[in-house]
Amino acid sequence: MPDGSFAHPQQRSFNPYTDNGGTILAIAGADFTVIAGDTRQSEGYSIQTRYAPKVFRLTDRAVLAVNGFAADGNMFVKKVKQRLEWYRHAHAKDMPLRAIARLIQTMLYAQRFFPYYVYNILGGIEEDGSYEREACRAAGAAQSLVQPFLDNQIYFKNQTAAPGQSHPSHLPLPDVLAIVIDSFTSATERHIEVGDGLEIYVVVAKGRSPQGLDTMRGVQEMSARPDGDRMFVIRRDLKKD
Amino acid sequence: MATASRNKAQDSISQTKFGTNNFLSERGIPLPKATSTGTTIVGCLFKDGIILGADTRATEGPIVADKNCEKIHYITDNIRCCGAGTAADTEFTTALISSNMELHALSTGRKPRVVTAMTMLKQMLFRYQGHIGAALVLGGVDSTGPQLFTIHPHGSTDKLPYVTMGSGSLAAMAVFEAKWRPNMERAEALDLVCAAVSAGIFNDLGSGSNVDACVITASHTETLRNFVKPNERVQKERSYQFRRGTTAIKKEEIRSLVVEEDITHIIGTGTGRGAAEGEAMDTS
Amino acid sequence: METIDIARLKSGEVNLGTSIMAVQFKDGVVVGADSRTTTGSYIANRVTDKLTHVHDRIYCCRSGSAADTQAIADIVHYYLQLHTSVSLPCLVPSPPTDLIACLLRQTSGEAPSVHTAATMFQKMCYDNKDALSAGIIVAGWDKEVGPSVYNIPLGGGLFRQPWAIGGSGSTYVYGYCDATYKEGWGRDETVEFVKNTLALAMSRDGSSGGVIRMCVITEDKVERLFVPGDQLPKFWQGKEVLGYDSKKDADVAAAVAMAVDA
Repeated sequence: MPDGSFAHPQQRSFNPYTDNGGTILAIAGADFTVIAGDTRQSEGYSIQTRYAPKVFRLTDRAVLAVNGFAADGNMFVKKVKQRLEWYRHAHAKDMPLRAIARLIQTMLYAQRFFPYYVYNILGGIEEDGSYEREACRAAGAAQSLVQPFLDNQIYFKNQTAAPGQSHPSHLPLPDVLAIVIDSFTSATERHIEVGDGLEIYVVVAKGRSPQGLDTMRGVQEMSARPDGDRMFVIRRDLKKD
Repeated sequence: MATASRNKAQDSISQTKFGTNNFLSERGIPLPKATSTGTTIVGCLFKDGIILGADTRATEGPIVADKNCEKIHYITDNIRCCGAGTAADTEFTTALISSNMELHALSTGRKPRVVTAMTMLKQMLFRYQGHIGAALVLGGVDSTGPQLFTIHPHGSTDKLPYVTMGSGSLAAMAVFEAKWRPNMERAEALDLVCAAVSAGIFNDLGSGSNVDACVITASHTETLRNFVKPNERVQKERSYQFRRGTTAIKKEEIRSLVVEEDITHIIGTGTGRGAAEGEAMDTS
Repeated sequence: METIDIARLKSGEVNLGTSIMAVQFKDGVVVGADSRTTTGSYIANRVTDKLTHVHDRIYCCRSGSAADTQAIADIVHYYLQLHTSVSLPCLVPSPPTDLIACLLRQTSGEAPSVHTAATMFQKMCYDNKDALSAGIIVAGWDKEVGPSVYNIPLGGGLFRQPWAIGGSGSTYVYGYCDATYKEGWGRDETVEFVKNTLALAMSRDGSSGGVIRMCVITEDKVERLFVPGDQLPKFWQGKEVLGYDSKKDADVAAAVAMAVDA
């Protein structure tokens, strides 16, 4: 009883974190990377906003998706961007992808005992044209729904190849985009925290064909230079219920 | 008194189960998660009767368990009940009360009244002290006219001209508070109920999919299942038809389930059948 | 004191935050209540009727858990109906098994006294005090003693009082009632007193609000009175902010009035 006496001591604690829902995912191809996230931000049973980006352009060739506690996510992206700007001032070039990955790791561990409540997926193209540490990854609210689907469709898990044939190690861009869109429409059907909008960032390696991407519905090119690595964003609607 | 001793027996039963649950949860075994109908349910009075409305999403935590479930339950021909809360509880309480109402109508020889159903429901829910997680909107038209009630899980009731319940009740009530007027026409009242349920569907994560409605007037009851479908599934980008042979076969064994039997006809030995056909049997 | 201990309500339970009141006067009683029902911070019903009929000339004001008080009032209503039914004595076991049976035997066939009704409430509240959160005021008119008011606070006590207030809003207006109440009032003065007290309680207590419902119970009839939420009696509204020169407004108003006259 909250009667001010000490007969029944009660522990109270302040929880600084909330889960703002949503899902992110990234898939690497042979010469491109796709990083996507839905745009719904929720708390409990209510929608805070139908458009809160979870995927952010860091450099001409690096994209970061953040998911979990939105306030921490935004602050974290802000700080990463600041560090990348300092790097540009010091070295007159963008930080390479693997250096960004290591930077993020260090920044997260620096907060080991008061962590950023954020799951991060970094995607992009390496300086030498190589990419990936992982070919596909989903995170966030619908991770448990999307990751098995990706394992089956990207890694061909539990699929036996036709006799005399083998599964491709990398899928072409149109196939990957179709799988990404289907992942999100399906997650929207079965997870209440996923929906409203979809943002898909695509980074295509320098000199490689965008494979019909530039004519796709709802696409917008974000490349700084047309001769370097190219970056596109595709925006789609998801169901709003 | 008889009621007192029965209550005591009831208490000891629920007390035992409650104790078991506490025992288990203290040992780190959580209670099984119930399928909850996150839910927006509404009801409103109009010129000729009552309109009830409901969304069709059922959830298990953040996962959509059923995209098109039915939350408007049958009580009698002229009474319906929308259920929010624990799906199993709303399903079984409404079914039980529906059954008892039928028996009541049969024994009294009268058309059942909404207050009767309301009293049965509140007394049952009160007896279970909130352990039956049913939040209900009860509506119908009887000899006393149109009637609309809400019943909370602990057994309290309210009688109002427009009501909402469930996690989407705030969104839906906002629509009613802004637009409901006395003596509305059927069409505009139905539009209002749809707008109220839609507010829940789009603004409350626990509610979603389609709008079910039910119009009850003195003369008849009209069920409008999936009256509006504002959330149809979109076309997939790819076909997920797998090639025959995709699933690996580790072992193959074919067993014959056909039993072969030889039947030999012996002609001329059976007499019983011929006798029955030929002449009438004496059964006296 | 009969304030509602919120911790006693089960989680998610519907609560009558409530300001309720009953006052006796020469010819009868006036009972009154606000109309707010809440679940947490949500107003589940803004036009609730907390004045519940239990017999022809006996009403109760309910505060605490909506479910508990409705259940109790329903049961008392049922017993009082039995009490009035003429053929009852043969239904009651002899000797009577409990107090309620006793009460039913005494004067069955006749209208019950307010004391009888209040005792039934009291018994249920006391016997089940561990399971209930109910603060009830019973008031009415009977031919034995005329008008009477009984207060049954949380633990199940029973107190006859010339006036009683209850619910979470009542704590704000004990002083007002003590300072204002006078014996020997007529109907209209009593109604004004109830209306003013409830308006003051509702303005200070967040769990109370909406409209004021009142009943005037006399020998001849029960009269229902209703005060809409936008016509509640107004008291000090707190318009003047500390340090703000209110004279300035008055000057402007005077200037405007003069201009209009001219």
